[in-house]
Amino acid sequence: ISSIHILDPLPMKGPELGVQADDIEPPEIEQEPKQEVLENKDVVVQRVHIDGLGRTKEDLLTYEIAGVFRAKNLIDVMRKSHEARQKLLRLGIFRKVNVVIDTSRGEDALPNGLDVTFEVTELRRMTGSYNTMVGNNEGSMVLGLKLPNVFGRAEKLTFQFSYGTKETSYGLSFFKPQPGNFERNFSVNVYKVTGQFPWSSLRETDRGVSAEFSFPVWRTSQTLKWEGVWRELSCLARTASFAVRQESGHSLKSSLSHAMVIDTRNSSILPRQGGLLKIHQELAGYSGGDASFLKEDFEIQLNKTLFWDSVLSASLWGGLLLPIGDKPTSIADRFYLGGPTSIRGFSMYSLGPQSEGDYLGGEAYWAGGLHLYTPLPFRPGRGGFGDLFRTHFFLNAGNLCNLNYGEGPQAHLKKLAECIRWSYGLGIVLRLGNIARLELNYCIPMGVQSGDRICDGVQFGAGIRFL
Amino acid sequence: MSLPAEAFMSQIAAAEPWPENATLYQPLKEDQILLSDCASSLAVQAYLRMCGLPVQVVCRVNAEYMSPSGKIPFIHVGNQVVSELGPIVQFTKAKGHSLSEALDDVQRAEMKAYMELVNNMLLTAELYIQWCDDATATEISRPRYSSPYSWPLSSILAYQKQWEVRRKMNAIGWGGKTLEQVYEDVSQCCQALSQRLGTQPYFFNKHPTELDALVFGHLFTILTTRLTSAELAERIKSYSNLLSFCRRIEQTYFEDKRS
Repeated sequence: ISSIHILDPLPMKGPELGVQADDIEPPEIEQEPKQEVLENKDVVVQRVHIDGLGRTKEDLLTYEIAGVFRAKNLIDVMRKSHEARQKLLRLGIFRKVNVVIDTSRGEDALPNGLDVTFEVTELRRMTGSYNTMVGNNEGSMVLGLKLPNVFGRAEKLTFQFSYGTKETSYGLSFFKPQPGNFERNFSVNVYKVTGQFPWSSLRETDRGVSAEFSFPVWRTSQTLKWEGVWRELSCLARTASFAVRQESGHSLKSSLSHAMVIDTRNSSILPRQGGLLKIHQELAGYSGGDASFLKEDFEIQLNKTLFWDSVLSASLWGGLLLPIGDKPTSIADRFYLGGPTSIRGFSMYSLGPQSEGDYLGGEAYWAGGLHLYTPLPFRPGRGGFGDLFRTHFFLNAGNLCNLNYGEGPQAHLKKLAECIRWSYGLGIVLRLGNIARLELNYCIPMGVQSGDRICDGVQFGAGIRFL
Repeated sequence: MSLPAEAFMSQIAAAEPWPENATLYQPLKEDQILLSDCASSLAVQAYLRMCGLPVQVVCRVNAEYMSPSGKIPFIHVGNQVVSELGPIVQFTKAKGHSLSEALDDVQRAEMKAYMELVNNMLLTAELYIQWCDDATATEISRPRYSSPYSWPLSSILAYQKQWEVRRKMNAIGWGGKTLEQVYEDVSQCCQALSQRLGTQPYFFNKHPTELDALVFGHLFTILTTRLTSAELAERIKSYSNLLSFCRRIEQTYFEDKRS
């Protein structure tokens, strides 16, 4: 048989033979019988090579390519090679992976033997990036350094440094997967992050260290994390309310957290089907530190494609913060609600308990959203740019409040059910790559309580996680 | 305070009378507060009592960080927050309460000069002894300052404060002084105060002013605080008129406190 090259793009829809015109012997009528021969022929994969390795250790890769040996016929070989290629790319250490399947050569070559070769190009040892960011009366210079595959087994070291006119942040992160089992990995981070929250007139500086361990269990992905953070809170302006001024100062939080994620969606931005369940709990105070609480929150999302390329999506978020001991909760731990990424029609995090215009956050919340995504009317730019846009009709509702923990769960539910804020409207969503989305909505907020700040009419939102 | 800031303050403050729920914030009295902060807080408390303005003292762990200027004490009156004796005096003056109205310009200038003397000498000496003297810093200042926090934050904050104060001491030229020299400076300051006081009940004869409150705050705190060495208290005790001055103010304005 002539050699068959399998190149980008993927995924394959079926047996793509990609046979070059000159390779076929004329006349053309012989093609059909040739295809049948190829499909049914039993083959044995004799050798699998990886060419182009530099610093990567081979033992890491044997796990990823082991599946290819088990292929029994040609279609199987191509499929297993494709899977192995995906696995190699997922390690994040190769820039390119090409697969070449050829007949076996050499003395011990069987008549139906195949050699599979993966031609890889490793990423450079160190890549750097330099960006400048301007926004919100602040300019900053961001320097990034990435060292993929530091010790040869897909470990990754990243460093980011941001130097701005107002604040400076940096972070160093080390990631190591288990060889042969990429889903099991751990990472260690050291960081200093400063955030300014004008809705609360608060500035928060976090200096922390965290260690995280992820592993899959059946269909879920579990993460265990320990985090130690030194938090410094201060007022953003002299006019901050006294309630926020009382929260100023230093505190130390040492917490253990666990997260479980089941994600069957086909994409994280504008999914067409599948669901997401994320449950997260955090226990602080039992491993040292000043802060002492138990925090639970969950996120559910379900998507279903309806007629005519439209998608119905329902999501529900909720959370509870339970202080342990007699110290009250800190404003840095509480939940916030409202804004273009949660309940649209309200200003950013400007919902719920507040004092003199500064929003203090709440200890319990729930928020739900119902969306109908449709293609743009009249479908402009179909098949290209137009596919990135969707129109959506939405209905959001939610509540954020503090609970009186002396009462029972009935009272809590009652409190969360009264004074519900909700909003509806429509807008346009733009998908940015596979990570973020932009929205431009016309919102009508309802159920507005005194103290909430609304943004009715046109509202713009950009982010990663939307209700 | 700058002139426009003063004018602004007067406008805002003059509008409302002194409320019943005015509060003064300072660090925890038993475990946390240090000599210099205690002295400043007592000075403000004495001043407010002399003006006859009621104020409630509340102790908070993060009082230093709550304060808009980072200094103890600060008062929360209505919805205004004012810190340190100087601005507080201005604030009460805008509300119509003042102790130094009866003074003429010469006396007022003299009062300001003596207040500067106390701030530059006594307060700085207190800070020096607390943070630059290794024995005091290790045994008293750092443990007290870090007591509300858990490790390692406690050590970080205590050392950070110590470096900050030492840097400031170097900047004003006190970095090279020895403990003896500091005690000498305190003695000289006390001598100047004692001479000015003479046999009068208060610095400006019959009625107390903010200078009296300030001097009382510092001297009384030094006399009643236990440090690693009693030298500082001894230096003050050698001036008997200052001792009776402190006792007099304590009995007149703080007798309910003694119970």
